[in-house]
Amino acid sequence: MTPTTTSDLTLKTKSDRKGPNMRRHPWLLTLLVLALALALPACGGGDDHEGGGGSTGGGTGIPEEFAAPTAPPEDAQPGGELTVIAAEDIDYMDPGPAYYQFTYMVTAAAHRTLLGWKPDDTTEPSPDLAAEEPEISDDGKTITFKLREGIKFSPPVDREVTSADVKYAIERGLLPGVANAYLPSYLGDVVGFKQALKQARENPTGGAPDIPGIQTPDDQTLVIELERPTAATVIQALSLPISAPVPEEYAKEFDAENPSTYGEHVVFTGPYMVENNAKGELVGYKPGREIRLVRNPNWDPETDYRPAYLDAITIREGFADTASASRRILNGSAQVNGDLTPPPNVIQEAAQSAEPGQLTATPSGGNRYIALNTQAPPFDDINVRKAVVAASDRVALRNTRGGELVGPVATHYIPPNFPGFEEAGGVEGTGADFLAKPEGDIELAKEYMRQAGYESGMCEGDCTVTLVGDGASPAKETTAVFEDALRALGFEPQTRGVARDIMYTRFCGNPKAAPNVCPSVGWLKDFNDPQSMLQPTFSGDQIQPSNNVNWPQLDVPEINEAIDEATLIADPEERAKAWGEIDKMITEQAAAVPYVWDNQVNIQSADVAGVINLFNANWDLAFTSLKAE
Amino acid sequence: MLRYIARRLLWAVALLFIVTAVIFVIFNVLPTADPAQLRAGRGASVEQIEAIRESLGLNDPIHVRFARYVEGVVTEFDLGRSIFQNNAPVRDIIFDRLPATIMLTVGAAILWLAVAIPVGVISAVRRRSLLDRTTMITTLTLISAPVFWLGLVALYLFAQDVGVIKIFPGIGAYSEADTFLGKVGAMILPWIVLASATAAIYARYIRSQMIEVMGEDYIRTARAKGAPEGVVVRRHGLRSALTPVVTLLGVDIGTLLAGNAILTETVFNIPGVGGELASAIGQSDYELIQGIVLFGAFFIVIFSLIVDVLYAYLDPRVRYS
Repeated sequence: MTPTTTSDLTLKTKSDRKGPNMRRHPWLLTLLVLALALALPACGGGDDHEGGGGSTGGGTGIPEEFAAPTAPPEDAQPGGELTVIAAEDIDYMDPGPAYYQFTYMVTAAAHRTLLGWKPDDTTEPSPDLAAEEPEISDDGKTITFKLREGIKFSPPVDREVTSADVKYAIERGLLPGVANAYLPSYLGDVVGFKQALKQARENPTGGAPDIPGIQTPDDQTLVIELERPTAATVIQALSLPISAPVPEEYAKEFDAENPSTYGEHVVFTGPYMVENNAKGELVGYKPGREIRLVRNPNWDPETDYRPAYLDAITIREGFADTASASRRILNGSAQVNGDLTPPPNVIQEAAQSAEPGQLTATPSGGNRYIALNTQAPPFDDINVRKAVVAASDRVALRNTRGGELVGPVATHYIPPNFPGFEEAGGVEGTGADFLAKPEGDIELAKEYMRQAGYESGMCEGDCTVTLVGDGASPAKETTAVFEDALRALGFEPQTRGVARDIMYTRFCGNPKAAPNVCPSVGWLKDFNDPQSMLQPTFSGDQIQPSNNVNWPQLDVPEINEAIDEATLIADPEERAKAWGEIDKMITEQAAAVPYVWDNQVNIQSADVAGVINLFNANWDLAFTSLKAE
Repeated sequence: MLRYIARRLLWAVALLFIVTAVIFVIFNVLPTADPAQLRAGRGASVEQIEAIRESLGLNDPIHVRFARYVEGVVTEFDLGRSIFQNNAPVRDIIFDRLPATIMLTVGAAILWLAVAIPVGVISAVRRRSLLDRTTMITTLTLISAPVFWLGLVALYLFAQDVGVIKIFPGIGAYSEADTFLGKVGAMILPWIVLASATAAIYARYIRSQMIEVMGEDYIRTARAKGAPEGVVVRRHGLRSALTPVVTLLGVDIGTLLAGNAILTETVFNIPGVGGELASAIGQSDYELIQGIVLFGAFFIVIFSLIVDVLYAYLDPRVRYS
């Protein structure tokens, strides 16, 4: 299996935007939830693992009154304009490199991918551009998609979409000027993929390379041939924007540039399009300022599951002061949040005085943990690692990022509402004794230290432990709490707080310069498959000399082998079971201190009937409507 | 004079070249993060990162990259492309943001001069009076108030969207306004906030200059010749006192156009160069930061030149040769 690439939950600033769930000021989210929890003691319940039911159940810790609406009201009104406000811009308008949660908010309304995520889909995507579920051959190496008829590109292309447009969309993703980050990971088993990648690298402006394993026997059929039976992963990956069709005859002149300028001339197939002129220039997109979505005149509602109630959507960007921006939403001056998260005081106000439904929380499908470098002393000793994990107060670690609503205390790595979560032990955990007490167990920790050869149960000799973390709040507070756990076992933490980019590129993502501890990391799904949570982060085969995301550098042959085998399992139940077992194996290695499964807060004004898309944990613009006046 | 201007222009070109080289070294030789990695995204493979590095010529020797950058800047004013904003050309982003910054700067400059000159002059003329003391305490308070704090207070007091007393257009109103008058309305609070601290500084500066000038022999001579006090103050005192203020004004306008209104633009969500710089720094968008810094250096050099030329007109004692 090729390396799996997913986004990093800790990459929630724009600088790290190639990942779908990267919000600005994630610390605000956590703090605000703490404030909310404090403001509404009756709402949170007393149990960390208490779920709210419906989409918020399963140990997400979200009270029912803040449950995310996942369907429009029965009397949803068509028409009207919606204003979204955001702190920053999307990453790319071009669906090829798009890889950011906020971008997905736009692409989901403006593009039709082979498969899409309906608001309440949590495990399997639904056919969108595809007419039906893809057909998988008996050997699991051939996937056949039948495309829906009658889907047309927006002006100025104005023609019907064919399978060749999807093939081109995928192939152009290999060009360095488009540089899709996840294609090699998820589609690397497509026949001829590696040669095509090499060809694109050698001739970056010579047009998209041909991938022989992607065939188009007719205009409505797309066949994907694989070298190994990894169809389950490929199918999920084709729910991402890379499978949004791109007309080659129109885009190739833009793709001949490096970087590609197709992002300034994109054509759309969804119910909405970015306002453009006769030449196709996106006049409705002012990077960093505004995106104006209008109805796509070539969209046929008969072919789509999206109701698309709104007539137009304006996304206004640059609202760096999230408090003011959030108040604008709550008082009706704007209507829903884009990438910004309301700060604690505003959430507190909203919880107390806003109308029901204005404040929602949604499980994000991510986790946060403190990575212990398993390749260098002292954490190359599993007993020392178990000792440190046992000594960690994970409730306090979670609380540095917020209270109960920010998410339950994690006991392993696959998040709630995810295939494999229950199989790995659910909220109760895998049964590992060093994770049994969320507040920490210092006696057990000392016992593990003794097993590691420290007779006193405390570190002796050279006990220096280096940490490199994000120097900004709340990550620095999380690090400080973890330092206490280290000191309790006699270690001497030497912490360096740096900018997030530097932390990754110079230290945690660079094995040669990796510290003993990376306390500010975490992971967010690419799609709802446990492979996207565990393979990149804990497979030894994924360790690379730079841009490494297996931060603990865990390299256990049995785990690597189990991961390799699990990637080939197609049956959903078997797959969930296999990945659940892998989660247990990883957890048993104590390579990290997992401390929270994240939730995400969104807000809307009182005149909006917003619908949250559970896959993206954000507003679904194609299902959201305005309430009748 | 023309010879002087020509010489200064040549110096300006040399200075900009040096600034370009320094900026290029900072962002290309000593980067805090790898641009290819940033463009590829977290989790991208080493091969992908290497392909991007190769395709963008980042493996070329530093002098080749610098020559290519300078050639791009000189021939097409090509400042590169933003890593994160849709690969948009940096030049286009700056030009898109410049009108808002110019409007903010010019409006605020007019406002702070309109306030600072009379306040400074009156304080100087009525030295140690109650008025003088009151204005100086007020200016000290305004100087001490951080712009972002002042901006937030102004918004929470007077903005139509989030304010207690809903008088002025609020956050993001500039972008939402469709007409010039609407944009002017949206700028009222930002102008007041940006001008407040600056006006206070100017008022104190003008006061001290005026006090010094009013003690000069030629002022005494003017009075002895029977010139009315108003004429003495305006024509003989103020004109001399304003000469160094012009230097200050030139540098301030240059730096504000270069993006120094970063806090005001951020608080009020004005899509200007300063707000863009703040966003680029937050995202480690090095090409964009590099472009804005270079563009800012250009403004500062040009305004310094304009100020020097204006000196000759303002102060008859100054002559260039």
